[in-house]
Amino acid sequence: MSVEMIGLLGLVALFVLLGLRIPVAFAMFTVGFIGNMILNSPQAAMSQLASDSFSLAATVELVVVPLFILMGNVATETGMSRKLYDAAYAWIGSIRGGLASATVVACGGFAALSGSSVASALTIGRVSLSEMERFKYDNRLSTGVVAAGGTLGILIPPSTGFVIYALLTQQSIGRLFLAGVLPGLLLLSMFILTILVITWFKPEMGPKGPKTTLSDKMRSTGGATPILLVIVLTIGGIYTGIFSPVEASAVGAGLIILIGALSGKLTLKTFWKAAQDSVVTTATVMLILISAYMIKTFLALSHIPQWLGGFLETADISTLGVLSIMLLIYLILGCFLEGFAMMVLSMPIFFPVVQQLGIDPIWFGVLVVLTLEMGLISPPVGLNVFIVKSVAPNVSLGRMFRGVAPFWLAMFITLIILVAFPQISLILPDTMIN
Amino acid sequence: ETVKFAHWVPPAHTLTASTIEPLQAAVEGSGLEIEVYPGGELGAGPLEQYVRVVQGVADIVWGLQGYTSSQFPLTMVSELPGALPEGMTGYDMLWNAYEAGQLDGEFPGTVPLALWLSEPNIFIMKDVDVRTPADLQGLKIRVSGSAAAAAVEALGATPVQMPAGEIYNSLQTGLIDGVITGASAVGDFKLDEVANSYTLNAPLGHISFYVVMNKAKYEGLPAEMKEAMDSIIGRKLSQSAEEGWNARAASVIESLEAAGDNTVYTLSDDERAAFEELTYPIREKVVGEVGGEDVLKTMQGM
Amino acid sequence: MGARVSTWADGLIRLSALVGTIGLVIEVVVILIDVIGRFFGSPLTGAQDISQMSMVLIVFGGMALCDKIGGHVNVDLLENAMPRWMIWAGDFASAVIGAVIFIGIAWTTWSSIYLMRFQLGVVQKTNIIDLQFDWFKGAIVVMSIITAIGMILRAIGLVLTGDNGQESRGHA
Ligand code: NA
Ligand code: NA
Repeated sequence: MSVEMIGLLGLVALFVLLGLRIPVAFAMFTVGFIGNMILNSPQAAMSQLASDSFSLAATVELVVVPLFILMGNVATETGMSRKLYDAAYAWIGSIRGGLASATVVACGGFAALSGSSVASALTIGRVSLSEMERFKYDNRLSTGVVAAGGTLGILIPPSTGFVIYALLTQQSIGRLFLAGVLPGLLLLSMFILTILVITWFKPEMGPKGPKTTLSDKMRSTGGATPILLVIVLTIGGIYTGIFSPVEASAVGAGLIILIGALSGKLTLKTFWKAAQDSVVTTATVMLILISAYMIKTFLALSHIPQWLGGFLETADISTLGVLSIMLLIYLILGCFLEGFAMMVLSMPIFFPVVQQLGIDPIWFGVLVVLTLEMGLISPPVGLNVFIVKSVAPNVSLGRMFRGVAPFWLAMFITLIILVAFPQISLILPDTMIN
Repeated sequence: ETVKFAHWVPPAHTLTASTIEPLQAAVEGSGLEIEVYPGGELGAGPLEQYVRVVQGVADIVWGLQGYTSSQFPLTMVSELPGALPEGMTGYDMLWNAYEAGQLDGEFPGTVPLALWLSEPNIFIMKDVDVRTPADLQGLKIRVSGSAAAAAVEALGATPVQMPAGEIYNSLQTGLIDGVITGASAVGDFKLDEVANSYTLNAPLGHISFYVVMNKAKYEGLPAEMKEAMDSIIGRKLSQSAEEGWNARAASVIESLEAAGDNTVYTLSDDERAAFEELTYPIREKVVGEVGGEDVLKTMQGM
Repeated sequence: MGARVSTWADGLIRLSALVGTIGLVIEVVVILIDVIGRFFGSPLTGAQDISQMSMVLIVFGGMALCDKIGGHVNVDLLENAMPRWMIWAGDFASAVIGAVIFIGIAWTTWSSIYLMRFQLGVVQKTNIIDLQFDWFKGAIVVMSIITAIGMILRAIGLVLTGDNGQESRGHA
């Protein structure tokens, strides 16, 4: 049997295991491990189990996972999330789906800053899901918004997605950052439009709130001042270079804990519960990330990316056809690979094809990054949706995927627009950097 | 027969042309195929790279001693400011000591195929021109290891630790004022987009690299393949690697000078002396701490 | 007897989570001290070493508790269409596969410590303040064994009582 065939069988096995309700991480570990055992050696598969567990757990960049969850948990335990949503509700609650739109903006902003859609889905999810439920929002809409909203972040700079793409393809990071701005804003508008359309047809999914007076608005904003202050300080600290986005997670958590303790709303007991919850959620998320690495190695060993690359090079199809097939491949791979792992795996093979066809590498970068994120919310295996599930265990995945579907469609339409009009991506880098 | 070569940088990295391709070319005729897994495909990140080759996840790996410096205290003496004598090459230094058996304890379970030093470290700064140690007072400088951190402190600056992937952003936001590393890193991490002042010829040492092969795998190779392998490994492959690094650094510096919006300055020997006064004592101190006096002498051919 | 074993296991699971939670607190404190110190020109020496290694405790410390409260995400899309025995079989398979994975992580991590440290004599440490990797790899071994014990007990419980025995998640 060819290695490519073993690779494909492994992916089929993965779907079967997932269908049987084997936890996502366990299923990926199993397929990755057995696959590596066959394609490399049993000894290699075993050693990788140990070395990846340790080296991924000891990754400084991933510190954001436990710390941002802690921040979200403490904000929720101390009622600061509630105050924030009260304020948002006073300002835009009278619009259908207003809170969902506010959450999309928050997700985009958070992910833009942290550069990580995982951290964004976790933190905003923890803060916003129960709040939107309080205002009678349908949990399909709220979870869909959180899962999709994080995808904005890797288009809006700073974006780790673009940094990795730039280093893999020797493109300018600055140009890519600029190229992401307009597509990011376009996608943001598309998401808000989607919310408006959903709630237009089904008002009960994001019910209108009462009209509020200016004094109501000011009063609720006053209540949210502490958490708004934390947000401003955290963002300000990153942009003025006082701390890095990774350190910002500790600063944010520390400030929220401090405010909670000073205001008497955070007792030692509630703090401990919030911290332990964060540790548990971190275990869920990190185990998925570690298992995704095992799958990545399996795919690398199966030579499936080379096989696809070779096919694209020799196939007699138009440039647009090749581009579409590549994006389709990203969409499929994105289902079960963490986005950056996938870029590392595929770019060395696909990028030469891109250059050969004369496709603009900056434009291609934008398209790839957007497609990657679509893969992360595509059913039946969407890593970002699993991540949201880890903070919303009571909502079934079926509901979540149904909730995500309209946003996925919005991303797909955005992708078509970006393919049709390369200027949207290229105008800023072309005019601002030569 | 096929052996797996694993590293964690992109395929376009200097490593490919300077080291991997010559190795592949040398063994090609013997029927030995070297299959490359770039970008951490066989496992995440540099931390466990040596463990990976010992345990057989990969057969050959590339790595930096500096990521797990506790394993390579004597090898890393070669990195220290002023350790490399004028007119000598880094790989000769390392192989002098290796062939004398003084580094055996640091490469257990493997056979080094290449050991070499990077181009000299330079100051890569944003908005600060470094001419004298006084120019560095209180600045935040990113470093990777403890010896480099000590040198930065000796120069009056504040050492900051961070993952390599974060340097770009941190320079941009001003979290750090500069980085001390080789010029090739400017190209590898696109630092030219955020840095604008580069100072060369400061005594800041070098970075050491290894390519090692699993010992059992190497010894188990059929005679013909092993012979082909032996025809290049050691100083020959290391020379190719080191020259590749130096060439890359030279071309990066050339393009920095050509860009026009940068300051690229080479310290005169007098200016350099002021830095030497502060960084050379660090070398003495570190060499003393690890008991590396003899090794350093062997390295320097004394 | 069975009850006593599971009380013991519970204690270990809580203890492991406690270590992870302490790791999290250390993480916050260390990064904050480092950030503040750096602002005033004297960052905390080895802050990155500590954050790296406490991450290991955080990630693996919560693993056993995560499993106990059913925190691992699974795909429930087909759940409603499944007969009861198939759900049971899925739960049982998950517990067994999970136990095998964590025994695997414990065993391979231990062999890596054994090979590097005791056979080759290499003691790996962090770069700035010399924290030994093996202590944290050792924590992975112990915490993974605790996680595996929890899963084995669950598999046994599933056979004896047919009951899943997982607590439901606390929040949301
Ligand atoms: Na971003
Ligand atoms: Na520049």
